[in-house]
Amino acid sequence: MAFSSRKRHEIAANLRVIWREPLLFVTIIGIFYFLLTFVAFPIFQVIKTSVTVDGRLNFSNYASLFRATYYFEPFLNSMVLGVVTATVGTIVGFVFAYGITRTPLPFKRFFRLTVTFPIISPPFVVALAAILLFGRAGSLTPILQAFIGKYSIYGLGGLVLVETIAYAPTAFLVLVGILSAIDPALEDAAMDLGAKRLQVFKSVTLPLATPGIASAWLLVFIQSIADFGNPMVISGDYRVLSVQAFLQITGMYDLPRGATLAVLLLIPTLVAFFLQKYWVSRKSYVTVTGKPTSATIRNLEWYIKGPVYALCSAFTLLVFLFYGTVIYGSFQRLWGVDATLTLQNYTQMFEVGKDYIIDSLTLSTVATPITGLLGMFIAYLIIRKKFIGRGLMEFTSMLTFAVPGTVVGIGYILAFNQRSALFPVVLTGTAWIIIILLIFRNMPVGIQSGTAALQQIDPSIEEASTDLGANSGTTFRTITLPMIAPAFFSGLVYSFVKAMTAISAIIFVVSGRWNLITVAILGFVDNSQYAPAAAMSILLIFIVLVALGLIQMVVNRIGRGTRTTTIVR
Amino acid sequence: MLKRIIVLLLVALVASGAFAEGRQEQQVLHIYTAFDTEEAKLYIEAFEKDTGIKVEYVRMSSGEVLARIEAEAQNPQASVWHAGSNTSHINAASKGLLEPYKPNIDFTLPAQFHAKDWAWTGFYSGAIGFVSNKNFLEEHNVAAPTSWDDLLNPAFKDNVSLAYPYTSGTAYTTWATRIQQLGLDKALDWWAKFDQQSIHNYTKSGTGCIPQVGLGEVAVGIAFSHDILAKGVKQGYPVVMTFPKEGTGYEVGGLSLIKGGPEPELGKKFIEWCLSVKAQNLFQEYNRLPVNPNATVAEGAVTLDKVNLIDYDAVWAGENKDKLVQAWRDRIGK
Repeated sequence: MAFSSRKRHEIAANLRVIWREPLLFVTIIGIFYFLLTFVAFPIFQVIKTSVTVDGRLNFSNYASLFRATYYFEPFLNSMVLGVVTATVGTIVGFVFAYGITRTPLPFKRFFRLTVTFPIISPPFVVALAAILLFGRAGSLTPILQAFIGKYSIYGLGGLVLVETIAYAPTAFLVLVGILSAIDPALEDAAMDLGAKRLQVFKSVTLPLATPGIASAWLLVFIQSIADFGNPMVISGDYRVLSVQAFLQITGMYDLPRGATLAVLLLIPTLVAFFLQKYWVSRKSYVTVTGKPTSATIRNLEWYIKGPVYALCSAFTLLVFLFYGTVIYGSFQRLWGVDATLTLQNYTQMFEVGKDYIIDSLTLSTVATPITGLLGMFIAYLIIRKKFIGRGLMEFTSMLTFAVPGTVVGIGYILAFNQRSALFPVVLTGTAWIIIILLIFRNMPVGIQSGTAALQQIDPSIEEASTDLGANSGTTFRTITLPMIAPAFFSGLVYSFVKAMTAISAIIFVVSGRWNLITVAILGFVDNSQYAPAAAMSILLIFIVLVALGLIQMVVNRIGRGTRTTTIVR
Repeated sequence: MLKRIIVLLLVALVASGAFAEGRQEQQVLHIYTAFDTEEAKLYIEAFEKDTGIKVEYVRMSSGEVLARIEAEAQNPQASVWHAGSNTSHINAASKGLLEPYKPNIDFTLPAQFHAKDWAWTGFYSGAIGFVSNKNFLEEHNVAAPTSWDDLLNPAFKDNVSLAYPYTSGTAYTTWATRIQQLGLDKALDWWAKFDQQSIHNYTKSGTGCIPQVGLGEVAVGIAFSHDILAKGVKQGYPVVMTFPKEGTGYEVGGLSLIKGGPEPELGKKFIEWCLSVKAQNLFQEYNRLPVNPNATVAEGAVTLDKVNLIDYDAVWAGENKDKLVQAWRDRIGK
């Protein structure tokens, strides 16, 4: 009874809100419409296509999945890949996070930058570098072969290597946040009570960080099995789901079966996403207070410092080696055959790829601010406003993060190629389908950083300002805005980087009038034209870095006196 | 604050709208091309210069083009499908996605170079050949393969690559060639053995194996002769091209008008232009064999009369593609 009376109360409160703030009500309805149309509808279309045969409900597509090895083998492969990559990636991320938050590791800023660097590079660049280095004709292959004998970079091993480099940064970012939020005073207290360092680590640090570790593991797992670019380049005979779904559609022209494979890819990612979101993160022991915690970093024993420093250095070296090879490769006349240094790849790239670069920049520049504002706005609604369906709004808006790009891309083709009751305009072939896809695909991180920032701001701070006589506008401008500005800009940075480097979903919606640079790079890689691919990747990384610098400058100017956003977060 | 954000959102929307609208053009032809970007640009820019019509294109593999046209059947976005092996065009025609159009040409096109109803028109051709890495051959003291069964030579164990027959017109032509030579059952047996003994990996695009061979990633690849020349020999890779003596299949590169495309008249102009001597002469650059008898053949290019060709039935291959590919996948399991 108590429950239903609370429910009634809530509904009454909701109605009051509508009455008091009609504008808010209209906006909420509008946002729901957008989420329904651009997030839920395409996914629904994919699922519908997978269970429809000749216009009738039919599960024969799924039945055939279990009959043929070439359908369920990729599923198993993807799962194995996801589990191994998530485990290795989380270990690497944890060691880095531990090194940066808990040890007197020198050059912390430098290590932080190198470990997060792979995030801003386009997908498959790491795989490209791996082939250049360790492929059968790779520059380090003879040396490596002398040590470990004949090996092949194409397959599970190579995939785990490149995906670890590509996705350990995700684990690192999650864990560095968690570890720095765990008050070191707890560990200090344990030490003061006579516990050994290892004991402290086992009984204090690790248990406190466990939800973070689980959440990092699940996020890397999602990214790994949804990854399309790297397996496309380096999986060899190790077939994974994302690539097979793509090939099923583009090679066999088999939309229903491709959609079915996509659904098979969707299920584990969604499960991992739910676990991460509604189970692991609820178990978080981290309490965020406004109180600053001063980390006391003690001098550690060598047996902790040694391995941590060694792993950090080794991984950093690997990152430098990989990206250095891409730079080096971009200046060679013909990779693997003629190492004469030349600018030809760059001049050729400007000839062939100029339009791609301009289009990529244009579309990303349009999509980024909309993504950022909409994300922040939804975050604000979710955290500060009470209304029916708030949880649903949060869930739907976060959904695109968990849904593999391949699924989204197929869904967009299916959903917006004809008029529908939801959306009366055909979007295919326009710039809008790309812009909208970029917006709704990249928004989740903006929302997440927005909600995180808003949650950290105790409403009492805002209330205090109001109590002191400021009106709500002034409060927002002088209190809320400066405090969420860093989150807003990191959301912007993220969506710009992702817009520029997107491939898995975008590849389905590019059109004659609008092309993207990543699609061009994939074309080069597809033809093993490694040098031009390397040159274009380097240019793309350069553009992204310049844009990051510009955004950082704007943040510094706006956020005078407030803390600035870290580059890649 | 709510208002402020809404206003900001609106401003952003309007600004981006103005941005996007600013790019509306006048006379534009939209095409899908299966040539690589670089090569496509050569022909398209020549066409633009000759006619003053602007062309906007997307580069995709022929499989991707077909998937795209099929997905867009309700609302076609492009008018012409440029290049890609005729097998895929035939497949598209059988699905009713193409608009028959007989181009106005001043030469006779052999019957196997166009659809009966002109749903597609051939505009270049090339034979399936083997590409081998010279260094590998020398090191292992083995001759370049000159028959299909040479591919089963243990010297090439785990060292041959080509594309998946279901993602690439090149590989499908290879598969259809084997079927036409051996019959389906024997072809399946042959390929199963081939797959087990010699295949290192399958690539997505038909030309992907050529640089792989060039780089020594694998010893032997199977691809079209013009691609082997343009992307292997001409690039400076240490590769050599050979043909199977039992006979080989060949492709005809197709051109077609997409049904319901936005600019049918411009599309027709484009198709006719592609068959002109001027356009066909451009094929020298990429070693493709022109269909226009008045065009010049590239030096060193292997013309079809020099290779032992089977009586390749492209129409049969195109119409039975789904079934034959399915048989391949069921047996090979990949």
